[in-house]
Amino acid sequence: MRDILRLSLPLTFWLAAFSAVYGLQGLVCSSRWTPLLEGWPGRTLLLVAVLAALAGSAGLLMALRSRRWGSGSAFVRNTSIALALAALVATAWTLMPVLVASRCL
Amino acid sequence: MNALQRHRALTRIWASDPGWRGWFTTVNHTDLGRMFLFTAGFFFIVGGILAMLIRAQLASPRSAFVGPEVYNQLFTMHGTLMMFLFAIPFFEGLAVYLLPKILGTRDLAFPRLTAYGFWCYVFGGSMMIFALLAGIAPDSGWFMYPPLSSTLGGPGINSDFWLIGITFVEISAISAAVEITVTILRYRAPGMRLSQMPIFAWYALVTAVMILTGFPPLILGSILLELERAFGMPFFQVAEGGDSLLWQHLFWLFGHPEVYIIFLPAAGAISMILPVMARTTLLGYGWIVAAAVSLGVLSFGLWVHHMFTTGIPHMGLAFFSAASTLVAVPTAVQIFAWIGTLWRGSPRMHLPMLWILGFFATFVIGGLTGVMVAVVPFDWQVHDTYFIVAHLHYVLIGGFVFPMLGALYYWMPHFIGRKTYFKLGYTAFWLVFAGFHGTFLLLHWAGLLGMRRRIDTYDSGQGWEAINLLASVSSFVMAIGFALVLIDVVVNAVVAVRGSRDPWGAGTLEWAMPTPAAAYNFASLPVISSRDPLYETPDLPVRIARGEGYLGDPARGRRETLTVDISTGQPRHVVVFPGNTAFPMMMSAITGLFFLGLLIKAYWLVPVAAAGVAACAIRWVWSLGTRTPEGALPVGRGEALPTAAEVSDPPGWWGSLFLLLADGTFFGSLLFGYAFLWTIAPNWPPPAYAEPDMALALLAAAGAVVAAGGVRLGGGAGPVAGSMAGPVAGLAGMAALAAACVLVLTRAPDPTAHAYDATLWVLIGYALFHLGLAMLMTLVLWARRRAGFVPATRGGERRIVALWTGYGAAVSVVALLVTCLPGLAP
Repeated sequence: MRDILRLSLPLTFWLAAFSAVYGLQGLVCSSRWTPLLEGWPGRTLLLVAVLAALAGSAGLLMALRSRRWGSGSAFVRNTSIALALAALVATAWTLMPVLVASRCL
Repeated sequence: MNALQRHRALTRIWASDPGWRGWFTTVNHTDLGRMFLFTAGFFFIVGGILAMLIRAQLASPRSAFVGPEVYNQLFTMHGTLMMFLFAIPFFEGLAVYLLPKILGTRDLAFPRLTAYGFWCYVFGGSMMIFALLAGIAPDSGWFMYPPLSSTLGGPGINSDFWLIGITFVEISAISAAVEITVTILRYRAPGMRLSQMPIFAWYALVTAVMILTGFPPLILGSILLELERAFGMPFFQVAEGGDSLLWQHLFWLFGHPEVYIIFLPAAGAISMILPVMARTTLLGYGWIVAAAVSLGVLSFGLWVHHMFTTGIPHMGLAFFSAASTLVAVPTAVQIFAWIGTLWRGSPRMHLPMLWILGFFATFVIGGLTGVMVAVVPFDWQVHDTYFIVAHLHYVLIGGFVFPMLGALYYWMPHFIGRKTYFKLGYTAFWLVFAGFHGTFLLLHWAGLLGMRRRIDTYDSGQGWEAINLLASVSSFVMAIGFALVLIDVVVNAVVAVRGSRDPWGAGTLEWAMPTPAAAYNFASLPVISSRDPLYETPDLPVRIARGEGYLGDPARGRRETLTVDISTGQPRHVVVFPGNTAFPMMMSAITGLFFLGLLIKAYWLVPVAAAGVAACAIRWVWSLGTRTPEGALPVGRGEALPTAAEVSDPPGWWGSLFLLLADGTFFGSLLFGYAFLWTIAPNWPPPAYAEPDMALALLAAAGAVVAAGGVRLGGGAGPVAGSMAGPVAGLAGMAALAAACVLVLTRAPDPTAHAYDATLWVLIGYALFHLGLAMLMTLVLWARRRAGFVPATRGGERRIVALWTGYGAAVSVVALLVTCLPGLAP
């Protein structure tokens, strides 16, 4: 089961981060949540979330490359590293709009 | 014992009942796989006939062939049948038939569940066909957007048929997905490591997990919409705090992964067939596995690209536009791996290969138009036009039907044990291929000229007449091609000569058995050490028949196979399968009564049927395991293994784990819907929130703590592991949590007043259902222990109950928190 987790975790993390940032964007643009988010500029909050997602994704990549957390099976090890790399690229590419797109328009 | 004696002995044990009775009592995956494929083929024919009626209507302007009421039913049912009753069940049928054979085992993990799922599919599909014949079929489009599908736009029973019938059918998909997942992970040939699994198994694994996580949002949406229609709970009514966009989110959370749920099995079939046709091995196996996993997960991040025109902020659009373009990368990895495989080998132009080449030409076009519509400004122009209709048909027919017809011809010698002698299939291919492109290539153009989808007629003078006439003529050419495929298959199945065992020279295990396959698949379970065992050990079929593998001695006279370690494939346990029984069909019929009661508003029938289903489930469980410990049993090759009934991680534990994955996704989708309404929906906040008090908080906290202690005791291996201390503590904790939930409901406002109130009732109802279920399971466990069943006393049943208890307690706490916390806000 650990090998299956190694294969499924990186992109699942991307999906969770992607959904969380999309959800956060909804919250920062909604007047209903303003009292909770008072004092936090929306884009800064989103940027922090993106950086955290990138750091988490990079951390997973490093972990899957390490002896301690990586798989003993060459196939699972190589495939999980490829998937972690894909997840890192996916995080950067799909969350890039935080830098360039208008926030709530 | 020689090979023939072994064959006779195993056939006596594994054979289905003879004659017509066997259709209703079989639990064998070979029979049920064929039955799934046959039934899916039937629905494909019905859906195809509806498509022809649509094209007949649109062939000329101002056509009076059918009126708008009938036309709405035609296109809704065409999409519904093709997506839910053909494509997914066809994959299920192929997987049910093939997986045990390519993995080197004797049946799927839960044979009775296979049968139960099949009969739910048949009964649910029959509901839809009845609605069609009675003229009361769903008519709001296959994605059923409210308010068109709610009581505002569709007050009749039409939409209810869709919401209830499709939910019934989805039981089949979830059942199949659970057992496909468990089978692939635990039921393989001894020695078959993850890296040695046939590539189709990887695709089926990804697809099954996608079904488990993709279907629950749709099931949730269907339940919410039916609750609104039947009881006035306003989830999608703007005036009462609902939002019709919530349906779109829930639907497309399912709908976009659905496209890949359909495509990935076809890609798996291609990855199996292509190397054999090219007389080589698959190039880039690891890359293809990574691409399949990537596609599976990335497809869950694309759902909003179906909603680009709904007024979502630019940043949100850009997220999903970026994700939609990204998904082309793993698709391209597969395409290039297949091209590389062809390049490396020496391709033969047999019929399966022809269909795969048809797939390449068609799917690549569909993929490229997919990238076009991923670009937001372009999508704004073509949204809801025939450009989208053409694109989705290129993806679904090119990406699923063509490869699956290739698969049909590739595995037909296996299904029927005969050579594919007659050559009608080649003519059929060219008719389908030419007819398809004649229809849908042209319809891109109609879309660009502004022809909107789902219009029942159009005026002349808009430049659409010639396109539509040609498209309609081409569609009938395509239909003639499909009819020829059917004739070809039937003729070959009935009159072609007997074929050889491995006509294509493939290396995978399904070709290591005589065809058509015996009910037991393998006379003994082979030991595997490569991805293409027949290439490595050409005499493997003979060794299997001689009983040189595991379980080659049928002396115990019962249906047995092995489970293995997930990673290494080392044998772990002996599994004893049930025999033939009509019980799954009966249970699915009673399940059908539950849905029928909802449909015809005979609500007295609903609890009666629910009680019937619960009674059936208890009887199902009661038949598992023995009352006498068997210890380690000899399994051949000098080894002995315990039965799965006597270990702590039986197949049922794994099945529960993956079922809870689907259940958890359902609950997560419900929380998402709640948060969505909070954030987006007009007319919030509600007039009043549920207000918790100290008694409620104490009851819930005490229940949570005691239930958690019970789960810890029940699921662990400590000094009280064998006792009932854990389950009893769990029961007490759950009772307290259930009391807290009931307390909330007694103070809850009218569920029809506001979307918040309706959501509160659903969240607490969900928690109560799971608490009740876990309490029932605990009582059954207690009864089985008293009756002396081994799995209940020393096996994994206690851990299964702990799993469900933990889940029930966790969702109850979350439901109580999210519904009551707003009441504490100043």
